[in-house]
Amino acid sequence: MNKDLKSFLEGLDSLAHDCESRKGQACSLEELDELRIEFLGRKGKLAQSMGQLGRLDNTDKPAAGKKANEVKQLITELLDSWQVEINAAKTDMALSTFDPSMPGRKPWVGTLHPVTLVMDEICDVLTGLGFEYASGPEVENDWHNFEALNMPPEHPARDMQDTLYVSDKIVLRTHTSGMQIRSMLKQEPPVAVICPGKVYRRDSDLTHTPMFHQIEGLLVDRNVSMADLRGTLTAFVRQIFGAKTEVRFRPSFFPFTEPSAEVDISCVLCGGKGEVAGSTCRVCKGTGWVEILGCGMVDPNVFTAVGYDPEVYSGFAFGLGVERVAMLKYGIGDLRMFFENDVRFLEQFS
Amino acid sequence: MLVSLNWLREFVPYEGDIQVLGDKLTMLGLELEGIDDPFENIKDLVIGHVVECDPHPEADKLSVCTVDVGDEMVSIVCGAPNIAKGQKVPVAKVGTIMPDGMKIKKAKLRGVQSLGMICSERELGLSEDHEGIWVLDDSFQPGAKLVDVLNLERVVFDFDITPNRADCLSILGFARETALAFDLPLTMPELNLVESGGNAADDIRIVIDDADLCPLYNARIIRDVETRKVPDWMRFKLLAQGQRSISNIVDCTNYLMFELGQPLHSFDLDLIEGATIRVAPATDGMKFTTLDDIERTLTANDLLIWDGKKPVALAGVMGGANSEMHSGSRNVLLESAVFRPGSVRKTARRLSLPSDASYRFERGVDQVMSRFCMDRAAQLMAETSGGTVVSGVASAEPLPWKNRTHGYRHDRCMRLLGLDLEPDFAKKVFTLEGCGVDDTDPTNWLVSSPSHRLDLEREVDLYEEVGRVYGLDRIPTVLPRVAKSLDGAVAAETEYGFLKRIKTWGAGAGLNEAINYSFVGDEDLDRLNLPAEGRVFIANPLSEEQNVMRTDIAPGLLKTLKHNLAQGNNHVRVFEVAKKFVTDSESDTATKEQNCLGILLYGPRHDSDWPWGSEDVDYLDVKGLVEHLLSDTLKLSEPEFVLTRDHAYLEPCVAVKIDGDVVGIVGKVKADIANFYHAKKDAWLVDMDLAIVRDMLAAHTIKFEELPKFPPSRRDVTVIGPVTVQAQDILRAIEGTGGKILESVELVAEFVPEGQDEERNLSFRLTYRSPTKTLKDTQVDKEHKKVLAALEKALPVRF
Ligand SMILES: [Zn+2]
Repeated sequence: MNKDLKSFLEGLDSLAHDCESRKGQACSLEELDELRIEFLGRKGKLAQSMGQLGRLDNTDKPAAGKKANEVKQLITELLDSWQVEINAAKTDMALSTFDPSMPGRKPWVGTLHPVTLVMDEICDVLTGLGFEYASGPEVENDWHNFEALNMPPEHPARDMQDTLYVSDKIVLRTHTSGMQIRSMLKQEPPVAVICPGKVYRRDSDLTHTPMFHQIEGLLVDRNVSMADLRGTLTAFVRQIFGAKTEVRFRPSFFPFTEPSAEVDISCVLCGGKGEVAGSTCRVCKGTGWVEILGCGMVDPNVFTAVGYDPEVYSGFAFGLGVERVAMLKYGIGDLRMFFENDVRFLEQFS
Repeated sequence: MLVSLNWLREFVPYEGDIQVLGDKLTMLGLELEGIDDPFENIKDLVIGHVVECDPHPEADKLSVCTVDVGDEMVSIVCGAPNIAKGQKVPVAKVGTIMPDGMKIKKAKLRGVQSLGMICSERELGLSEDHEGIWVLDDSFQPGAKLVDVLNLERVVFDFDITPNRADCLSILGFARETALAFDLPLTMPELNLVESGGNAADDIRIVIDDADLCPLYNARIIRDVETRKVPDWMRFKLLAQGQRSISNIVDCTNYLMFELGQPLHSFDLDLIEGATIRVAPATDGMKFTTLDDIERTLTANDLLIWDGKKPVALAGVMGGANSEMHSGSRNVLLESAVFRPGSVRKTARRLSLPSDASYRFERGVDQVMSRFCMDRAAQLMAETSGGTVVSGVASAEPLPWKNRTHGYRHDRCMRLLGLDLEPDFAKKVFTLEGCGVDDTDPTNWLVSSPSHRLDLEREVDLYEEVGRVYGLDRIPTVLPRVAKSLDGAVAAETEYGFLKRIKTWGAGAGLNEAINYSFVGDEDLDRLNLPAEGRVFIANPLSEEQNVMRTDIAPGLLKTLKHNLAQGNNHVRVFEVAKKFVTDSESDTATKEQNCLGILLYGPRHDSDWPWGSEDVDYLDVKGLVEHLLSDTLKLSEPEFVLTRDHAYLEPCVAVKIDGDVVGIVGKVKADIANFYHAKKDAWLVDMDLAIVRDMLAAHTIKFEELPKFPPSRRDVTVIGPVTVQAQDILRAIEGTGGKILESVELVAEFVPEGQDEERNLSFRLTYRSPTKTLKDTQVDKEHKKVLAALEKALPVRF
């Protein structure tokens, strides 16, 4: 072999060895770039070696060229593989410093009051059945709140509700039933309305607050029967409390309905057994039943008061206490919590 | 209403389970509240026979007794003076718990062992008698239970009676319902009245001024009565009903009231002057002393019982002190009357004098039964006092009882109840309830209701009876078809729907919904310097803290803040949708009610310092919420925020205007006011008038706008100007000067150079765009220059 060729080839080999031995210098992409320039750059070591090519015999040139390409290939692969390693190490470093357990940047969570939640839920069931919303004044006159509802002055039924008066003739509405009157005065039958809202009583103790919420429902048409009333109420009770809830209609008295009934549901805590773990159930007091609403067929005197013919029309009405349902549904024991607005209480209803 | 089981059984032979009885009556509309044993606390007392009784060796006043208590002989030391050998006495053995809670223990009294206690009636809670130990009937067996040998009532039902069921305010009433429920016969007590001599009608003349106020007044005379011990059977029956024994005469009247429902009154006949009883109203301002020795001022609406000279009783409410029975009374005038319910109710309520008697008169008593009740009471009085009943009755009945007859259409009843029953069922119900049924016309019967069922006034009341007895709970369930008119089908959003939308927004914006009482204290409004005019006061408030309807949303929210701060909740972000109330003479309720939205923000902006930082909320937070609601959610026109001076409780206070109308305010609660609510940091408030907002909303419809087809060009400018020039002024000015191609302008940065307090730098980004072509830079530059030149002219600013 030609001596020149031999030293040319040896030069290339040592170049490759040189590059291999420099691995420790390529810790970053920048350093790697420097190496790449040093070996493969336009004026790099490989280019310098190639400069010697012209001095070789023409017969040696193909072999020298082939070797030069091999070395270039080798160095390129070497540098590329180091780049992969460096990138991997970088990614690894970046991930190892990423802490997924840091607290997140949460937006505030707003909530609706439990009374609103229950009211919406009940009203959704009823509007689904075709009832429409009605709303009216909370400060009401005696005629709408009492007289038109078949509770003339001196009627003992007025004792059933302790009233807050503004004046002789103006009261804070004691029930949402006054909206029955306003709704019927506004239109001819058929009437199907619900009126959710605040009501007031002169009563404040562990089980009463002077303000609470009711939902009033009224359906008036030809041939409305007690069976319709039972169907409507059973439907919504089961929607709110579950399909297995038992419903009981117990005869009662309200001046504005005849016949009247109170509706009990099987106790949500003890399931109607009357006891929990061997002791008397605190929710139903051992009876297995919890009263949730009052209802009945609209009294003919109420129809007369609003100018409907009781011989032609019949209807039903019901009124239920929202807080009571909310207490049963969410297991809230203390009625006063509803109006203290402790944010730790409110935040639970999201 | 308390109902003793054994008393009930004197009328109706019910032998079944007591819970079954309670449940059955509950489902007939007489709601069982509970079943009690009135003598539970003396159930362990036994009969003792005093076999030996010797003086205590160490104490004069004590006796040492050997008592046979059935299963053993025990030694008991007794201090009662009337203790004697051979007596039968009530004994509380060791371990017995007395009604006052004391437990009987083994004791040594002056060296002598005592294993129990011999009791007085007072110690057993049976009467006030504590003269000595209670000496019982000699026939009682030692060791027997006291409650058994005395036949004490062990089962008393407590029923909740609705106001319509006046007939159920007596044992008799419950007996009727029990008979109806279990198909049992009803037995009335037998009358064994012995009359002798004279004629009561000659001794007393009854005069009734107004038949409407008093349709019936009967009176009997019982002479030569003595004050005697009330027989045990009577006083213990009364005690089981919750009524303590008073005297042998008064107990008889109470007995009849509980048994048959007719309140009676006994006058001392010798204190009745002029041989007359007159029923007539009082006069305004008249004074009258009732038998509780309280002088009452009367009105012309109060009905009185008068004798020939003076008033002697408040009719149906309470007797007078000047004619009541006392220990020396010899002769009784016994009244059994019927008064108009409304009149009795008015007087009892006005004078705050509710009584068992007025309670029954208010609901209505059985006029036909009234005479029987009086006769039975007279009989009992004679028997228990040794007196004699004078023959005859002094009576006036200007308005005799008339049978009331109503039509009954069975098919209509079935339609209303949603039932399909045979007419015979209805007939049986009416008959069992004591109604007369005439079914000559099969489609329209004539049903006459009995005198004790005052609630059966109309045909529909008869329907209720059919439903009640059949069982409302057995009526089928059907979902009604709700007929709707076409008009109704396209109704606009309801008020409820709108308010619900606002609430949903509030929750979505990260606020907690609060609900406060609609009433506050007068002082709460004063504290916020709110106007005194227009307040709607409550005439009979529960307390001064709840005596006026809120005229503003703030007091409730501030109370919520105070409560939370007291609980250590230092981040408060709440909203409330509720009404404000002010007087309004135009309204049929004399009140104007206005829905509003209140928001209160307090404390740190975020609930964690990291990663948000710990800054407290400020004006931009509340303002942002308002903009988010009005512009972004409800899509109303851009609101304008105008500083307002001299607000009652906010400083600064900013009015929120849309198209010139104020729709609400935003501001910071004044420090001294916030301080009262224990707020150490700034409390920011929003109060939006939802009525106005809703009106504005009605006009808004969503309309899609084509997306721009050509790219925008943006230019930033930093405006240097006095701090008194508001950002809004600059924005307006730029918008006002911008040509057709200025699409929008927004504030992007605020910078106040250090040490500078008169000037600030505000950077704005202006977006230019043409709807028809891509703008050239030169064109935009030219337009931008024009805008800046105009801005410089309009405001004292530079760039
Ligand atoms: Zn239960």
